[in-house]
Amino acid sequence: MDFAAIKDELAKILSKDKLLTEELDLMYYSYDSSFFTQMEPSVPQAVVFPTSTEEVQKVVRFAYENNINIIPRGAGTGETGGCIAVNGGIVLDLSKWDEIVEIDARNMQVIVRPGVIHARLNEELSPFNLFFPPDPGSSQMCTIGGMVANNASGLRAVKYGTTEQYVLGLEVVTPTGDIIYTGGMQARCIKNVSGLNLTKLMIGSEGVLGIITQIRLRCWPKPKARGIAMAVFDQLDDAPATVLDVYKAGILPSGIEILDSSAIKAVNEFKPEINLPNCEAILLFEVDGNPPSVDYEGRQIKEIADRRARSVEWATDPQRMAQLWEGRSVTASAASRVRADGTRVFAGEDVSVPLSKVADTLRAIRALGEKYGIQVVNYGHIGDGNVHTAPVINPEIPAEVERVMKLVDEIHHLAIAMQGSTTGEHGVGVVRRPYAKQEHGQAVEYMQKTKAAFDPKGIMNPGKLF
Amino acid sequence: MEFKELPPVKEQIMKCVRCGKCRSVCPTFAEIKDETAAPRGHVFMVGMLRDGKVEPTEDVYKRLSNCLMCETCSVNCPSGIDIHELNAAARSYIYDKNPSVGKELVFDTMWTRPGLLKNSVRLMWFAQKSGLQKLGRTIGITKLLPGDLPKAEKILTDVPYRAAKNQLGEVNPAQGEKKYRVGYFLGCATNLLNPEVAKATVEVLTHNGCEVIIPKDIKCCGLPHIANGKMETARQLAAHNVKLFNSYDCDYIISDCASCSSAISHKNIEFLLGGLKIEDQAFEFADKTMDLTKFLIEVLDVEPPANPKAKKIRVTYHDPCHLANAQGIKEEPRELLRRIPGVELIEMKDANRCCGGSGTFSLTHYDMSMKILDKKMDNAMMTGATKLATCCPSCMMQLRFGANRNNWDAEVVHPVVLLAECYKKTPALKV
Ligand SMILES: Cc1cc2nc3c(=O)[nH]c(=O)nc-3n(C[C@H](O)[C@H](O)[C@H](O)COP(=O)(O)OP(=O)(O)OC[C@H]3O[C@@H](n4cnc5c(N)ncnc54)[C@H](O)[C@@H]3O)c2cc1C
Ligand code: SF4
Ligand code: SF4
Repeated sequence: MDFAAIKDELAKILSKDKLLTEELDLMYYSYDSSFFTQMEPSVPQAVVFPTSTEEVQKVVRFAYENNINIIPRGAGTGETGGCIAVNGGIVLDLSKWDEIVEIDARNMQVIVRPGVIHARLNEELSPFNLFFPPDPGSSQMCTIGGMVANNASGLRAVKYGTTEQYVLGLEVVTPTGDIIYTGGMQARCIKNVSGLNLTKLMIGSEGVLGIITQIRLRCWPKPKARGIAMAVFDQLDDAPATVLDVYKAGILPSGIEILDSSAIKAVNEFKPEINLPNCEAILLFEVDGNPPSVDYEGRQIKEIADRRARSVEWATDPQRMAQLWEGRSVTASAASRVRADGTRVFAGEDVSVPLSKVADTLRAIRALGEKYGIQVVNYGHIGDGNVHTAPVINPEIPAEVERVMKLVDEIHHLAIAMQGSTTGEHGVGVVRRPYAKQEHGQAVEYMQKTKAAFDPKGIMNPGKLF
Repeated sequence: MEFKELPPVKEQIMKCVRCGKCRSVCPTFAEIKDETAAPRGHVFMVGMLRDGKVEPTEDVYKRLSNCLMCETCSVNCPSGIDIHELNAAARSYIYDKNPSVGKELVFDTMWTRPGLLKNSVRLMWFAQKSGLQKLGRTIGITKLLPGDLPKAEKILTDVPYRAAKNQLGEVNPAQGEKKYRVGYFLGCATNLLNPEVAKATVEVLTHNGCEVIIPKDIKCCGLPHIANGKMETARQLAAHNVKLFNSYDCDYIISDCASCSSAISHKNIEFLLGGLKIEDQAFEFADKTMDLTKFLIEVLDVEPPANPKAKKIRVTYHDPCHLANAQGIKEEPRELLRRIPGVELIEMKDANRCCGGSGTFSLTHYDMSMKILDKKMDNAMMTGATKLATCCPSCMMQLRFGANRNNWDAEVVHPVVLLAECYKKTPALKV
């Protein structure tokens, strides 16, 4: 179907304000947060903004009948090109559909449409003393739909796990245009093992199996108290060792984060008032719960960390805690500050390795950086072995781009060699697709068969995952 | 300088990692909610322009102009990108290629020739007072303006008859011993629309030992031109004002208007005149500039006379973008309010969120501006305040309109007016 015809047909389905077809507007949908799309943007044929399940269904049916690709999109903060029309098609931008349908406080659940922003959801849940625990660094930007599709998690995954633990059920428009309800979407119970677990299948499916149009989430009671311990290390290796010591002592912090020396520099450049000490590595431990237990665990962590650390600060003052935590959450983009004529790129940024191999991995990544002459900023969720690497380059210099691509490839192979994974939370999308066979072997074929069962024509977000 | 060679365009675009943080704070994006209105979208489009992948057309301009120039994105960008400057530079570039008659008239002719601006405002005043509003509208100046003006004209209400300059002399001697010679950058809007603010500023400054100079030939600070892509005109205006104020040998140069004080701030003067022949003179000027509220707290450390009988008033404060974002001045105006006997300062939610006025944005993008304004008014009204204080004439105009539109009878005031009232019955300081 030619472009003009697509445009005319979509205009019959959706009102004018829910449709973009001008070339200039479409260009804005050629990127997400990945370095890949910065280098290779792909412009879709149309962008639509449906705000009802029926509208989604109509668009999907139209696309299905005419063999047009459809690409779901949330806020476009993914790091993998997942929401980009790499083979052309219609982008469904779901970020305008941001209704909180119901807060069922008595049953500790909430129902949302896909475009609700993570931070806003928690703001709305707060008066009910509830929260949705996964907390990605992109909390203020990313959508719940995107989080479910990517099985996102965040700084507190150590204790609270990933998005999948909280999804009770979904409403999905399948690639053939059916509307299905998975798991407990239409029930209100918390435990439910009835049927094949299609909910889990959809979570982390990165938009290749269908469009998530409604989400029932389980919420947790909000912890009453919180504290943050900051441990300062002169030796990089002492940081991961301290993490293991804390676990051995029977303590489960809500989050454990690491910043290496270059990450510290970046944060201090961005927000001098945070004033992190200069050292080889900093660990941030967050504990939450009831006030006496927070106090007890905080003191324990301080005692354990003191054995290896230069100094340990235990903060319960809300302002200081917010500062320290903010320091960590801005590292992702503040990393660029380490080089005046450079920027961090989101590539090879999300490997995950066994806890016992974190120190080796960090050292190996540093060595790779040196090998390719590229500065790398390391930080991340060390508590679950999820290391974020930020290579800092000048993307306008082709030779640097070429070198960074080699560096990233080696980092991905390194992760697999360490018995880890190329991605701990950001997903596969386009950029980690080449490693699928190596990571999953023959299982990839079964993934493809599963997709074909949902999507016989292969129109749902093609070119991703495998 | 060529567009591609401008420092932000040359150095900053590649720093955008497309993280989307700026999406989460942008007031226009919050209304439009699609990527074409996201700050990172603007950065992307400026990059496309720079690389010649899109032509500098009015279509591109239209998309870039979905922006209040409130700078919220820039202060929140973890990569340190001056997103609004990139946008302004791009709009200026497009403008140069597509001069548009309506805007030329307003921004080049009217704002640069205070006489013309004054007469237009005067005409509006006359039309209102004489009940000839309809006629005023028919022949009104607002028709010269672009976009949504016919709808937006009602924002421009209550034009006072006598401009501040007609009520204040060029040299206003210090009361008591003279501490400083202060140049007062009396902006167009304060002069024409809020003369009571100008009078209060002079009153407070002279009362605290300042000789206040108001040069006769001050021209527009150039901010409306930057916002609308007329960079060259902005440069000419800035150069004129630099030379004018330098001829008075002041210790400080202050403005009570957040937009003017940000326009004459070192950062902006460097942006406009850095690298040009006039640079040295420009920096001599810029080194002395300061927003009034900061000057009152940091330099003069004003202490209004204690007054146990002062009437209690509940005041809430709105941060003008040009003060909070452009200059990082948030605490000083609040501190000033707290020092005024009787004032109880009540914070509103999102006090630092743009009111949607942003100079001429409310005139060119009326409907969106109103959506942003109504959110602001909801937060302000929730405080139960009877006065809404802010330090920018454009915000004041917008907020007055917002109060009116929401049937809220709170008075919109500049903190300096409240401060001046405490001095009214007190003799000047004898130092
Ligand atoms: C600064 C920064 C920090 C980050 N920190 C973290 C972190 O700590 N943890 C983490 O897990 N991630 C993190 N991310 C990555 C990203 O924010 C998350 O993956 C997020 O969940 C993506 O949400 P989104 O709304 O932006 O989705 P998009 O990027 O728009 O889309 C992501 C994928 O989901 C699919 N999709 C989106 N909505 C739907 C839907 N309704 N139905 C079906 N498929 C859909 C898309 O097709 C695409 O494949 C970070 C990103 C940035 C820029
Ligand atoms: S916040 Fe800065 S780096 Fe992030 S997308 Fe916006 S402009 Fe780019
Ligand atoms: S200056 Fe304000 S309105 Fe413009 S893009 Fe930035 S945040 Fe949005």
